Amino acid sequence: MKRATFLRGAAAMAAAATVSSCSSEGSGNKSSGKSDNWEIPQKDPTATITVVGQRAKSGTSGMDPVLKAFHKAHPTITVKYQQIPFKNLNSVLASRITDKTGNPDVFWTDQPRVAAYATKGYLADLTDQFGDLTSALVPTTVDACKFQGKLWSLPLGNSSQVLYYNPALLEKAGVKPPSADPAKRITWQQLAKDAKRVQDKGGAKYGMLFGQPNRYYQLEPLPASDGGGIGAKGKHNLTVDVNNPQWVETMNFYGSLFDKKISPKSITPEQTGPTFIAGHTGYFWHTQNWVTWITEQAKFEWGGGLTPVWEGGTPYTPTGSWGIGLNPYSKNKEAAAIFMKWLAIDGVGGFGKSMEWSIMPANKKGVEKYLASEPYTGSAGGKAAAKIIDYESKNTAQARVATVGYVEFETLIEEAFSDISNGTDAKKALDTAQQKITSAWKKYQ
Amino acid sequence: MEKVPVKTNRAGEAAPGASPSKRTRGSRMARSQLRTAVIFLAPAVLAIALLRLLPFGEAVWDTLFKSEGFGVLAEEKFAGLENYVTLFTDVSFLQTLGRTVVFNLIINPLQIALAMAVSVLMTRKMFGRGLWRTAVFLPSTIPLVGSSVAWGIALRPDGPVNALLGLFGIGSQPFFTSSHQALASIILVASWIGIGHWMIFLIGGLNSVNQELYEAASIDGANGWRTFWSLTVPLMRRPLLFVLVADTVANFVLFVPMQMLTNGGPENSTTVLMFDVYQRTYTFSEPHIGAAATVVLTVIMIIIVSIQFRLLGERDK
Repeated sequence: MKRATFLRGAAAMAAAATVSSCSSEGSGNKSSGKSDNWEIPQKDPTATITVVGQRAKSGTSGMDPVLKAFHKAHPTITVKYQQIPFKNLNSVLASRITDKTGNPDVFWTDQPRVAAYATKGYLADLTDQFGDLTSALVPTTVDACKFQGKLWSLPLGNSSQVLYYNPALLEKAGVKPPSADPAKRITWQQLAKDAKRVQDKGGAKYGMLFGQPNRYYQLEPLPASDGGGIGAKGKHNLTVDVNNPQWVETMNFYGSLFDKKISPKSITPEQTGPTFIAGHTGYFWHTQNWVTWITEQAKFEWGGGLTPVWEGGTPYTPTGSWGIGLNPYSKNKEAAAIFMKWLAIDGVGGFGKSMEWSIMPANKKGVEKYLASEPYTGSAGGKAAAKIIDYESKNTAQARVATVGYVEFETLIEEAFSDISNGTDAKKALDTAQQKITSAWKKYQ
Repeated sequence: MEKVPVKTNRAGEAAPGASPSKRTRGSRMARSQLRTAVIFLAPAVLAIALLRLLPFGEAVWDTLFKSEGFGVLAEEKFAGLENYVTLFTDVSFLQTLGRTVVFNLIINPLQIALAMAVSVLMTRKMFGRGLWRTAVFLPSTIPLVGSSVAWGIALRPDGPVNALLGLFGIGSQPFFTSSHQALASIILVASWIGIGHWMIFLIGGLNSVNQELYEAASIDGANGWRTFWSLTVPLMRRPLLFVLVADTVANFVLFVPMQMLTNGGPENSTTVLMFDVYQRTYTFSEPHIGAAATVVLTVIMIIIVSIQFRLLGERDK
């Protein structure tokens, strides 16, 4: 072969080969090849299991203490833990579970994704093994892990929302702090005015930060509060509904916060908390998880208020959290089940018990321990937050839409949120999202 | 009898007119060389076949099927070319296709021109040359994920780059938050890494050019520009061809900055084919359509690489 011809062929092959490895999610899925005929053993087997989660292994909120405590309680079971960033968890799980090697055995499941994961065969049905053990868990979190009457995941956590604020900056601007009294809940419109004032008069760099900008989890209560629903309706929640007038109105409001520079564009969820802690932000709306971090790290006294309500609307707050699921192709289901049970159910739950800084547990005894901890009792802000969490969890918590098409929905609606915060007209962005999600959901109809 | 060295040509074949015994010895040597070549090449060829060509073949095969059902529970059904029809009737895919081609038509010549310019500069006699080379090369040693995070912060509307622009009286730029600037900002991030990387190959090429030719050109009175176009560029054809092809392939499959910084937005302005393949395959659980998009991407890449070979490649003798 002539050299140039050979080179040309080789380059073409290299080019072809470079893109080939990410192309197939797996084919020929004729049979599941899995057995559901197993139970949680009385005696620990000797096994090594792989667990994938979005939590870091080490560091303040790392899994190391949890794994250490488990190994102490169950020495014959070794847990190999791997962290996958939240953003990539879905795609990594899709590729690893579909290769049917049974690795990972156990993985973190975002509660609204349970329906999608169950439908796609990514989760083992846990009804027979764990159905009778769920009385130890907060019922709404168990419901979030069910789909079509079956239990597919064990809830580890629960979440609520607090409107954190920097009292010194508010005072300087002459702004009244948001109340922790449900009868005096402020409106979103009022918050926008106050935040702007705190920026203009109080010297705040940012008026307000969304803890998780552009994420459906956090933004869904805005249209819901205005009466626009949570994004989908109808049979199996498969009729998209994201461009109705209330969605457009509330998302125009969301976009205006960035347009008026009350909130900064292009800040990531990982950067919002540290930014508030740095002390130059008026308001910070995020999960209760931040009570601990702000208490530990902020060099200012902080306050906590209730999530605002849309003017003339109904108060809603985001909720939902993480669970753990079992790979249907796991070769170590018994050992994995012991780990899952220990983590979520036993006592106050190994997860909440062993972590210095944890999410609010789904375990009932765990919640009591959690809200009695120092961050919720040691300061005025902490005490207010405990009261708010308790009230919101029972009265205003609004779960994300449960649909088999959740993954597509979340991805595409968050693209729209991102565009809106970057200046795209809300109507245009939501019309596009409506059309794209409808198209992506065709396969489920 | 005194042994006479066998005359062989470069390919190890016995020269015409050599005696039969000489020919035998020559062919033994040729066989030996062939064996050595096979031993050395086998692991690489095997790896390419198993890890690259086989999965690609599988991907091509996958495009001919569609799923009835979802995820691992899906049943596969033969669908012929239906997945390609779906793709080519999807307006957003056609827009992505056009965007990918335009992106590559800009980024590849830009990176190579800059890498070439920097290489020429770095081969000149200058103070602290090693230090400058290291400084230009350094970004390519940082993982793309890390570079993307750093650039994401630097180019935030309230970030340090805008603060710097402000010092020169230039207004704040939206960068990744504008559908008009996001792709250009991605080009900036990718080039920051790419230029140093490709520079190393080009410096290697420049150093192997016979310096006497430059002296001759100088004596003939050629100026710097003329020398560059008439001497440097033709003599650099081979390294330039390699860099052009490798850079094109790298940029056609560029994915990390889009995933890390813009998620394909704003308004899809940074959705290029590789990101589209990823989304279709993993986010939307449409592996067969994703595989079809991969094949389309590959075919386009092969066409462009072939054109590059034709334009820059040496003619077969």
